[in-house]
Amino acid sequence: MLRFITAILTSLSAGAIYALMSTALVLVWRSTRVINFAQAGQAVLTTYIGYEITIRTGSYWYGLMAAILSGALIGAMIDRFFLRPIFKRVKSGPIVMIAPVVATLGLLGIIQAIIGFIWGLNYQALAAPVSTDGYKILGTVIAFSPFNLMVLLSVTITMVLLTVLFQKTNIGLALRASAYSPEIAKLSGIKVDAVRTLGWAIAGAAGGLAGMLYVPDSYLHPNSMDVLLVFGFIAAVIGGLDSLFGAVAGAMILGFAINFAATYISYKIVFPTAFVILILVLLVKPGGIFSSSKGRKD
Amino acid sequence: MHKISANRKRLLTFILLGWALLLIGDRVGEFRQYQGSFVAMYALAIASIILLTGYSGQLSLGHSALMAVGAYAGALSINNLHLHPVIALIIAALVAGIFGLILGIAAARLSGPYLAGTTLALAISLPTIANQFTILGGEQGVAFDIGTPPARYGEDFSQYKWFFWISSLAALIMIWMVANLMHSKFGRVFIALRDNQTAAQLAGINVGRQKAVAFGLSAGVAGLAGGLLVMLISGVSPSAFPLSLSFSLLTGAVVTGVYDLKGVMLGGLVLVAIPEIADSVGSRVGGSDGFTIALPGFLVSALLILAVLFLPNGPGKLLKKKM
Repeated sequence: MLRFITAILTSLSAGAIYALMSTALVLVWRSTRVINFAQAGQAVLTTYIGYEITIRTGSYWYGLMAAILSGALIGAMIDRFFLRPIFKRVKSGPIVMIAPVVATLGLLGIIQAIIGFIWGLNYQALAAPVSTDGYKILGTVIAFSPFNLMVLLSVTITMVLLTVLFQKTNIGLALRASAYSPEIAKLSGIKVDAVRTLGWAIAGAAGGLAGMLYVPDSYLHPNSMDVLLVFGFIAAVIGGLDSLFGAVAGAMILGFAINFAATYISYKIVFPTAFVILILVLLVKPGGIFSSSKGRKD
Repeated sequence: MHKISANRKRLLTFILLGWALLLIGDRVGEFRQYQGSFVAMYALAIASIILLTGYSGQLSLGHSALMAVGAYAGALSINNLHLHPVIALIIAALVAGIFGLILGIAAARLSGPYLAGTTLALAISLPTIANQFTILGGEQGVAFDIGTPPARYGEDFSQYKWFFWISSLAALIMIWMVANLMHSKFGRVFIALRDNQTAAQLAGINVGRQKAVAFGLSAGVAGLAGGLLVMLISGVSPSAFPLSLSFSLLTGAVVTGVYDLKGVMLGGLVLVAIPEIADSVGSRVGGSDGFTIALPGFLVSALLILAVLFLPNGPGKLLKKKM
């Protein structure tokens, strides 16, 4: 029973981090129709910035703020000064098909190399602001710590804030309209390019938060977010790539599936489980489980 | 009549190329021979990417994993089944090809970014699976020993020259076969898929099946390259097939022009040259360890982006336009 409850709790906190990554991927996909593979690089770069600030100031919270803000800034800059020029330049020929993917991959490689230049390639540890020792229930220590609880709460708050932003504000309306139909949004006077950059900024901030919440229970290395990119992508595909609700739900489904597989079968089958889920969703319901039928179809 | 002469011309080109390589192999030192074997192996792997992306229009980031499949299949057939190394290399290609065909059936239903993400997931997850089976040797991997050169070539015939011969010959034969295939009905069908799927379908092409076939063929070529790679490093382990290998291959393909097989040798040269350039730059600048280790990745990625920006159709097309 205890094992079961622990599995639920760890699934929730793991799923919460995947949800941040899948939300970031979905935000960029909706605004730009690009799967941003550089997301892993952006997230880990901003986490390194957060790590540096944490060490200099001695406070995790300053580091967290720095990571989120720099994440937003870097995301916006990548859209404005990197991808937009590439889209402008590469317009014809069969290369158009692969150019966005290749560009974000190249960017991922460059960001990871730059991190290596600045911080080296050693594994770094980032201390959590609260204890990472598991809670003790009836004399047994379970694999769920105050820090995991903090992860769960921070992601819940973030998701509530994002929902309010998207559903209750004019900016959210502009974001949704630009994703739904850029042409009509433009005709209604929305600055689609600026809104698109805003989408990238929010995605970048979510990536920074994901990194700062993931690294204390893991380690910091230029490649440490690669796995999260894959899980975030799978979660986004489960949710249909287009829907923010789907991204979160997909992340939770994935979190539960792989944590239960790890608890009850073996941690060794985490990757195979995730991969099988991805293939199954793509074969059975390629549009994702939660995709809205009204969305853009391309 | 015209077509036959084109095919003969191609065969002649490859024979001349092989003869030139034979002469070069005799005249350079062991280190260059060893590097030459890597050039041939990379050229072959890049050819597999061009076959898939350039011709059939599917993008794969999972070719490092497909190479690993071939490499493990080859190693197991030498170690456990005690087969002849040449047969082991053929098995490497076949097993990877079958694996790729199955994967291709799933991949055929995916478009651009979905396919890229799925193959990325494959590239990251497959090596970790290899870690978990004792027959695959875990993190340590298993040996891949092609054996010493036959005695009839004389005492002076070094192991590196042997590597160079096997690697070059395998690459030449396979790339020749791919080139022939791409100039046949297969190639035209693939190009039709790439350029306009709907039109291809209207012309009576079974889009799903042909995409899967392209994936399988490409995987087979990649599997052979994987077998050659682990022959050169004498063993196969998960760490020999990092995600960055897939990125390097993609860079090699884009740099040489992803729609043209002619440049694959150049791509192989670039991939072999980059670590060496990085090494000499690193030692000259005298940067930290992190700088030296991260520099090759930086150069590969920068080259990838620059190539997409400035040579979107490959250097060949650029020259043609200038003339």
